[in-house]
Amino acid sequence: MLERIGLAWLRVKTLVLRRKLDRDLNEELNFHLAMRAEKYGGDHAAQMAARRQFGNSTHIRETCRELWTFAAVETFWRDLRYAVRMLARTPVFTTVAVLSLTLGIGANTALFSLVDVMLLRPLPVRNPHEIVEFVRQSPGAMMTNLPYPVFSFLSQDRSVLSDVFAIRRSQPALQAGNGPEPVRAHEVSGSFFPCLGVNAVTGRTISRDDDRAGSVNRVAVLSHAFWSRRFGKDPSIVGRTMRLSGEPFTVIGIMPLDFFGVDRSDFPDLWVPLAPDPDPGEVWVLGRLRPGVGISQAKARLEPLFQQAMGSLQNTLKLWPESDRKAFLSQRLLVTRATEGTSGLRWMYWEYSYTLKILIGLTALILLIGCTNLANLLMARSAARSGEIGVRLALGAGRPRLVRQLLTENLLLSLAGGTLGMLVAALGHRLMVGLLVRDPLNVALDFRLDYRLLGFGLTLAVMTGLLFGLMPAVRATRADLSGALHRGSRQRGTAHMPLSRGLLAVQIALSLVLLVAGGLFARSLRNLGAADLGLARENLILMDIYRTGKTPEVSQRFWMRLSGQVSALPGVRSIALAGDAVFGYGGWNQTVWIPRPAQPAQDAKVSMNCVGPGFFTTVGIPIIAGREFGHRNRENTPLVALVNQTFARRFFPNENPVGKYFGDRGPASFERYEVVGVVGDAKYGSVREETPPMVFYPLWQCGQRESLVLHLRTASEPAALLPAIRREILAVDPEALVSEVRTLPQVIRKQLREDQMFAAVASFFALLALVLASIGIYGVVAYRVAHRTAEIGVRMALGAKKADVLWLIMRETIGLLAVGALIGVPAALAAARLIKTLLFGLGPSDPLTIAGATFTLVAAGALAGFLPARRAASVEPTIALRSE
Amino acid sequence: MEAEKTACVHGGSAIRFHKQFMGAQDKPGDLVQGTLDMLVLKTLARGAMHGYAITEFIQETSGNVLRVEEGALYPALHRLELRGLLASEWGLSENNRRAKYYRLTAAGRKQLAAETERWSRLTLAIALIMDTV
Repeated sequence: MLERIGLAWLRVKTLVLRRKLDRDLNEELNFHLAMRAEKYGGDHAAQMAARRQFGNSTHIRETCRELWTFAAVETFWRDLRYAVRMLARTPVFTTVAVLSLTLGIGANTALFSLVDVMLLRPLPVRNPHEIVEFVRQSPGAMMTNLPYPVFSFLSQDRSVLSDVFAIRRSQPALQAGNGPEPVRAHEVSGSFFPCLGVNAVTGRTISRDDDRAGSVNRVAVLSHAFWSRRFGKDPSIVGRTMRLSGEPFTVIGIMPLDFFGVDRSDFPDLWVPLAPDPDPGEVWVLGRLRPGVGISQAKARLEPLFQQAMGSLQNTLKLWPESDRKAFLSQRLLVTRATEGTSGLRWMYWEYSYTLKILIGLTALILLIGCTNLANLLMARSAARSGEIGVRLALGAGRPRLVRQLLTENLLLSLAGGTLGMLVAALGHRLMVGLLVRDPLNVALDFRLDYRLLGFGLTLAVMTGLLFGLMPAVRATRADLSGALHRGSRQRGTAHMPLSRGLLAVQIALSLVLLVAGGLFARSLRNLGAADLGLARENLILMDIYRTGKTPEVSQRFWMRLSGQVSALPGVRSIALAGDAVFGYGGWNQTVWIPRPAQPAQDAKVSMNCVGPGFFTTVGIPIIAGREFGHRNRENTPLVALVNQTFARRFFPNENPVGKYFGDRGPASFERYEVVGVVGDAKYGSVREETPPMVFYPLWQCGQRESLVLHLRTASEPAALLPAIRREILAVDPEALVSEVRTLPQVIRKQLREDQMFAAVASFFALLALVLASIGIYGVVAYRVAHRTAEIGVRMALGAKKADVLWLIMRETIGLLAVGALIGVPAALAAARLIKTLLFGLGPSDPLTIAGATFTLVAAGALAGFLPARRAASVEPTIALRSE
Repeated sequence: MEAEKTACVHGGSAIRFHKQFMGAQDKPGDLVQGTLDMLVLKTLARGAMHGYAITEFIQETSGNVLRVEEGALYPALHRLELRGLLASEWGLSENNRRAKYYRLTAAGRKQLAAETERWSRLTLAIALIMDTV
């Protein structure tokens, strides 16, 4: 131990007195050589003999020095400084290499950070690993919304579950100074907060006593974000009363900053007790497993309870078609871990899994291209440095030492790329969330640069540095001293070429895959933007308006007055009310029965909407036959309906549907609707959809509704009109709540966000790949040309023309591009099949896209190869010959 | 030079590097690892010496049978110094040049005794086998 400390002390001393150590060492060895030479006679030959006998003096000096110093640290430090110097000397190479890695690592890290927060971080609650979510599963689908009785039945179990809670989303209106404003609420059962084991920072949470059946306390717990945003962190808000949709609620507590509930992508403003509704609809149900209970054990115990709960719904299913009822009752319970929250499940299985996979594919491709490019650049660089490396080997440098030094350079490059990449990721993650998540403001994402992210980015950087740097380094130091020292040696250069060219061909092929993907996404986006919707998209405003009238009459008077006032505004062309918005959430599905002569009625699944007078004119759907609804189609008048062309074609083939009837209450429907007209087919849910058979009912025959959507067609840019419209609505009724205002183009843009993201990301990556491939080709060809200058000189001296030389060099480039395309086109075709379902209006093997991508790549590559080729061809033969 | 038939004495790990980069071949008569350390310690038991003198002394005393590979000597000396078995100081050589002199420390003397003891046991054992067979 003492010895060790002494040794360390000696070394520390040496660190300070490094110069003295070097001097002493040199003097000691020189003394030895001088003595030896003297013994052999003292002349020049004797000195040489002494040196030969002594051996590799550089190496001996190195060995001794390493003994005296913290060798590893010292060498590393020296290598690092050398590496920095070498990289600084070739700024273009360094920039390109670092940038290609930055983008690759940045994109991957940003994506990882998103996956990390969405899928990998546990909920900030007590023992998150015990939290489970209940899901109902039918053969084709999984649903997290469960009928309320499932919650009551599961609550009875105490054998495998220690607690169960239910959540329902709602959007009440908060009464505020300047009119009502919508807030996001989660109605939760009294067990929600106790089960999660979280406490309020101020005040208290909702307790089990707050939702005793029959008497629910009107209390509210605020999220930290909502409290700061809406009340400026005023602590005296606790205990005060606020009005939600007309009812007084007492604020009882504020939650901690990091608490978001159980779903990161659905972060409510406040929590209120779940009122046991007589018709409670559907809730999310989660629970906590008892310690030591496994998923399969829980499922086995809870499945019977689930079936009982579903069975208790029998009565409400009476009106359902037989097949639907059977399907509903055959659903099974699925218990899944919700350690990371419920968003995990949705991400894994539904909306984002596909998106995520494709993004992972794209980012992995760009990283791979970046790495291939780096390996190629390194290879060309080490070939260019073969002279230097040869000299160093000849002077006695050890090969592992040289490899280590080259690797230090590569690692430095990749770490620089990694660091910048993480910076890109840190800046880009918000963008990524914006691109990926439907409602970015509503997502509780915490993007602190934590150890996981750092670990991921650095591992990626080090792996790429080692994997793609080791091979060039080992090849570069392959001992071939005489060859390397020969300036302009051709053997060395050519020895590198097959591998380098292979890498380049792979890079070209990968770039082609990205180019094809970018082209497909871009063209698909254009098709989506230009698709015929069957209605007019410009200058259409959609507004969700809530108004709870005490009686249907009051309510209807409100809507009538509203329509009258707003349509009188200057700049408003026409307006109409409807139950569901065009391009809303797809509208409601319904089963209707169409009578057939001498056969039982045919049942048909259709989509429906309730629309007010003037709807089709306002939205721009043509009336093909019959008439639009008027103000006279209201309750207590004969039931009527309009159908779209698809409906007419499918259910009344070869006849005029106007004047025909259909029913909506089972095979022997007594409620019969007369078809009074046919309207044009229009997209109703999304641009992509196949137009479904649609039925439109007159709004005033649909029964009372709490909210309607106001459709407004304006004469000009709608944004300018909005304040006036809002004023008019509040003038009609100050309690009316305008919850969401958007224009149709906005709705469509939002729907196409994912397509836009894919088109943007893939096109950007494709461009990047194109640039990298061009740089790669340019580098390799330029290097080749430099090494063949003498040969070119000979050819020209023997009478080769400029064009011949040009062709000589270009032939290689073209061969390379051809090989790249030969690999790339089938690879691109295979990859494109994976994105088939995302494409609109073109197939995955769209010939135009593939031809365009190939042409672009070949043109860019040929240009990159042409520049050095032209330089080679314009060289004076005499100069070229002298270059050797 | 005249070392065609002499054995190489080298120490520890230096030989590995050396072989690889100088293309040195294994020669018959290579001595057991660590022997160089022992010989150096023994040589220095006579008094302080510089590196060149150590080489010469070993070669001459062994009747030109053992030749210290000079490349291995200096790392060995430095290693022994770092282990505290040798101490060094700069002095003037016989022909009035500055030279680095090495001498045994107390720990070095103890180490030499141990090595000597180990060596005699080893040679005795080998001798027993060689005589018997």
